Amino acid sequence: MNKKFFSRTIVRIPLIIWSLAVLYPIFWMILGAFKSNAEIYANPWGLPDSFSFSNFVNAWSNYNIDSSVFNSFIVTGLGATLTLAMAIPTSYALERMRFRGNRLLFTLYISAMMIPMVLGWIPLFFLLMQLNLLDNIFGLSIVYAVSQLPFSIFVLTSFMATIPKSLEEAAAIDGMSPYGILWKIITPLSTTGIITVTIMNMIQFWNEYFMALIFLQTEGNYTLALAIDYISNETQYTNAWGTLFASLVIAIVPVIVLYAIFQRRIVKGMTEGAIKG
Amino acid sequence: MVQSSRQRNLFLAFCLVPTFILFAVFTLYPLFNGLYYSFFKWSGASSLAEFVGFDNYRRLFSDGIIPKTIWHDYFLVITKVIGIMILSTFFAVALTQMKIKEAPFYRIVFFFPNIMSVVVIGILWMFIYNPSLGLVNSGLELIGLESWTRPWLGSEDWALTSLVLPSVWAGIGLFMLMLMGGISNISKSYYEAAEIDGATEWQQFWKVTLPLIWPQIKISILYIIITTLNGSFIIVQVMTKGGPNNSTHVMGSYLYEQAFVKYNFGYGATIGVMILILSLITVLIMQFLMRREKVEY
Repeated sequence: MNKKFFSRTIVRIPLIIWSLAVLYPIFWMILGAFKSNAEIYANPWGLPDSFSFSNFVNAWSNYNIDSSVFNSFIVTGLGATLTLAMAIPTSYALERMRFRGNRLLFTLYISAMMIPMVLGWIPLFFLLMQLNLLDNIFGLSIVYAVSQLPFSIFVLTSFMATIPKSLEEAAAIDGMSPYGILWKIITPLSTTGIITVTIMNMIQFWNEYFMALIFLQTEGNYTLALAIDYISNETQYTNAWGTLFASLVIAIVPVIVLYAIFQRRIVKGMTEGAIKG
Repeated sequence: MVQSSRQRNLFLAFCLVPTFILFAVFTLYPLFNGLYYSFFKWSGASSLAEFVGFDNYRRLFSDGIIPKTIWHDYFLVITKVIGIMILSTFFAVALTQMKIKEAPFYRIVFFFPNIMSVVVIGILWMFIYNPSLGLVNSGLELIGLESWTRPWLGSEDWALTSLVLPSVWAGIGLFMLMLMGGISNISKSYYEAAEIDGATEWQQFWKVTLPLIWPQIKISILYIIITTLNGSFIIVQVMTKGGPNNSTHVMGSYLYEQAFVKYNFGYGATIGVMILILSLITVLIMQFLMRREKVEY
């Protein structure tokens, strides 16, 4: 028994070190957001003397964080809604209805998860330009929604497969139309799967950087990730680290809140999404 | 079900067609069009696209930066696979087998970086590597290794290696949880039997745990390979933009620079085709190498 206790203590050392490696930079980023620049230079890794919100005020009003937070919320909300509107009916048809090409269509959607989309971004850039959707957060929302479609279909079909068929059959006998069955029976019964998919998509859209970098151009349209990147590039010259940290904290708070509420679902959604390969 | 086949087909179309049109327009068409663009010399103005046949591909093979970007991508793939798999296997085994009381705490903490934006992770680590303020250099000074301090991201020799740590840092949690899922499915009776046979914990790990979680290990490795080849350029773009002196350019960041900074859209598309082909080949080869009889006891 003594030996077991000993080996458990040994194992704890790397676990504690890695916890510190994860938590320390995050805590310190949050603390840095409340420090003045002079404090950051004098004592970059220590506690602030007094908590000041001036960095947040500066980021919010002088660096366009306000409009980019707004844009990020629009893109996240609209993108997640659009994904659902596209994914729910298609998932239902793929999972429950027999038609020629069903397997092929499913495979097509799923294999799109493994294809590097970088190649598609160049033509997509010109396509959006032609559609007048370039440098437009609505255009970006559509692109986001389609990009998460394969993942969403993958999770929703496997979820809908667990709903017993007898419910639909009973409703059909009572004279309910297939649209009614989809909307009043399948959708409510898939709530758990829909929530999982939506949280994953929202985190994805909120965090996304590269497509926004390519498809958005004017500062007024920047999402939060772009605005932060912009501040970060400026910081090399202005050294306004406090402002940068404040904007990082603004970006990370919604994710922390979602993680605190939906920790189990997020973990499940991500591990299942990875297992598709 | 009482419904005419016309009604049924109408419903089917309602479910499938709008979604498929959007998918075709915003995913399939751009991918195939990217292939098509790779045969053109094109600076973006639509009237000026000039068909050049395989010129872009010839340029690809004579471009001295291309082999570097490929090597950098595979360097990241190899170091990430090794770093992430060793650490996450160790953590997964420790948290499932050692009966540690505070295990849920570690699980929640280790996973958290997985849901942070690459921008946040990149900027955070830029500061950690900052030559004068950063944690790495001040830590080295603290333990008396001042000669080891250097401008990590600004050094041609060290910048690429410096990108590995943030990627591992951000990746551990997900793969640890995937492996933990595999380990918790292993029946306790195998370990009991092994214990009766006198197997040490180390032997139990090699003979019982590892073979039985091989499917999860395989999926994890493939997933790291795919996400790195298809996405390593994001952290590169945030942290170094391919510099200093191209020493951290990966295929994707070089594509971005060629297409969206230098407006060589045709050549950019050619790099995209290369990324597509290389990542498909790599995944196929790895799937072949890691095929292994499913172990059942």
